[in-house]
Amino acid sequence: MIVSELLLPVFVVLATLAVGAYLVGVIDGAIGAALGAPRGQSAWLAPLTQGAWLLTQQANTTEAPDWRAWRLAPALYLALAATGLAVVPWSPTLIPTDLTTSVVLWGSVEALATVVIFLHGWSANTLLALIGAYRYVALGLSYILISMFVLIGVALPAESLQFSQVVASQAEMWNVIRQPLGLPLFLIVGLGMTFWGPFNLADSRDLAGGTASAVSGPPRLVWNLARAAMLVAFSGVAASAFLGGWLGPWLPGPLWMVIKMLVVLAVLLLIGRLVPRVQPERCVTLMWVVLLPLSFIDLIWAGMEALL
Amino acid sequence: MDYPLTVDIAFLLLAILAVVSGWRVFCTDSMVRASFFLLVSFIAVGVIMILLAAEYLGVAMFFMMAVEMMVMATFMVMFMMNPAGLNPMMMVHQHKFSIAAGVVIFVLLAGVALLAEFPTNPLPADLDPVTSLGNELLGDSMLIFESAGIVLLTTMIGVVVLSSHRGRYGGAHEGSMPPGLVPGGDPAGMPKEDEEEGGGHHHCH
Repeated sequence: MIVSELLLPVFVVLATLAVGAYLVGVIDGAIGAALGAPRGQSAWLAPLTQGAWLLTQQANTTEAPDWRAWRLAPALYLALAATGLAVVPWSPTLIPTDLTTSVVLWGSVEALATVVIFLHGWSANTLLALIGAYRYVALGLSYILISMFVLIGVALPAESLQFSQVVASQAEMWNVIRQPLGLPLFLIVGLGMTFWGPFNLADSRDLAGGTASAVSGPPRLVWNLARAAMLVAFSGVAASAFLGGWLGPWLPGPLWMVIKMLVVLAVLLLIGRLVPRVQPERCVTLMWVVLLPLSFIDLIWAGMEALL
Repeated sequence: MDYPLTVDIAFLLLAILAVVSGWRVFCTDSMVRASFFLLVSFIAVGVIMILLAAEYLGVAMFFMMAVEMMVMATFMVMFMMNPAGLNPMMMVHQHKFSIAAGVVIFVLLAGVALLAEFPTNPLPADLDPVTSLGNELLGDSMLIFESAGIVLLTTMIGVVVLSSHRGRYGGAHEGSMPPGLVPGGDPAGMPKEDEEEGGGHHHCH
């Protein structure tokens, strides 16, 4: 009982966290090399080399930082990614945490991520990190709202707030077809919440690295790892909410999940490499004026479909 | 009721965390830290609610309090004389009154906990708390909850409109001008206006 209820779920989450974050580095490097980025060593080794290099570097310090918050923030972001992965179902029986309100728990992970990212930039007590932190807070609220409406949309046909029920409700038709607006909106939220690619506004180059501008060494490694892990958690949630999770012919459920998560990750990383960064002011307008109304339409669409 | 011993241990640890972080709110010297200590306290209470099988309310506590504390910290920094919330400041005031109020409220709540007669009729084991909560919120009580929600929203917007009319540096319709470092002095941190005409261009030559 201890093995099946405690050790196995923890092992599944930790293994996905570690392997997934490593694969994010590999796929991102491979896409970069294919698009003509300067090629160093093989894509398989590059993330490990970079991690080892960060591990041996000295941890930077600033003038009077809030030490506890500064060191805790990357670890907390990683813990939030782990919490997010814990609600992702791998098969009808293999679910690390089958909470009846797991969709809402994922929403809380997104909300708490705002706090953690803000804390990471705020506690460094330097200018550019602070600007990155406030920038994320200004944008984070719109990410949370869009994500919430889209996820209520997938909870409607399942008549449940449980991810396993959401997956089961897609047996006839996946939500990506039933609610065509849902997955694109959710992927944009994913890029925003991990500040990746076009929506990298908290840790962007124009802020010399933003919230991570004054972080080096092992804390930086944890921060980079946590961002990649959060992207993995996002792909897991997107695969269960929109791509039918473990459902699929011939192969066993967990394998289908792996394939779907890898596809979502590849799409996210490709967007990250291809699309230029959005200006922060334009990003706020884009979120509130274009994408949030689109998420309302998605929810109305889902509601009409559930009624018919 | 039978439940594993771990539930008791978890409850005790979470209760200690909630009380200690609640106490730290008043000891810290920064508004941002105070907000997030309060958030930790609320999260511990949320987990206790999940232990009590209130699965929706407990999880709702996480995201509501996360956004609420984030917005609260931002607003406090915006409206108070403390740039970015980084300067140390005293977080407590009106000591005598607040100590008296704290003692009275503690005695009242402890009295309720000790003296009240709580209902003992057990609910059926297959009752789904999420469904029954949804029926309650969006069923008979919908009008009450929705009107309360609208009133709260209107109040929040009204408060922001009223208080932002006059900001830190004067009326909202005037130009922002920081106060002087000495009473009646020149605005702090403002460069001297150039005397000559077209002063904005002279440094180009």
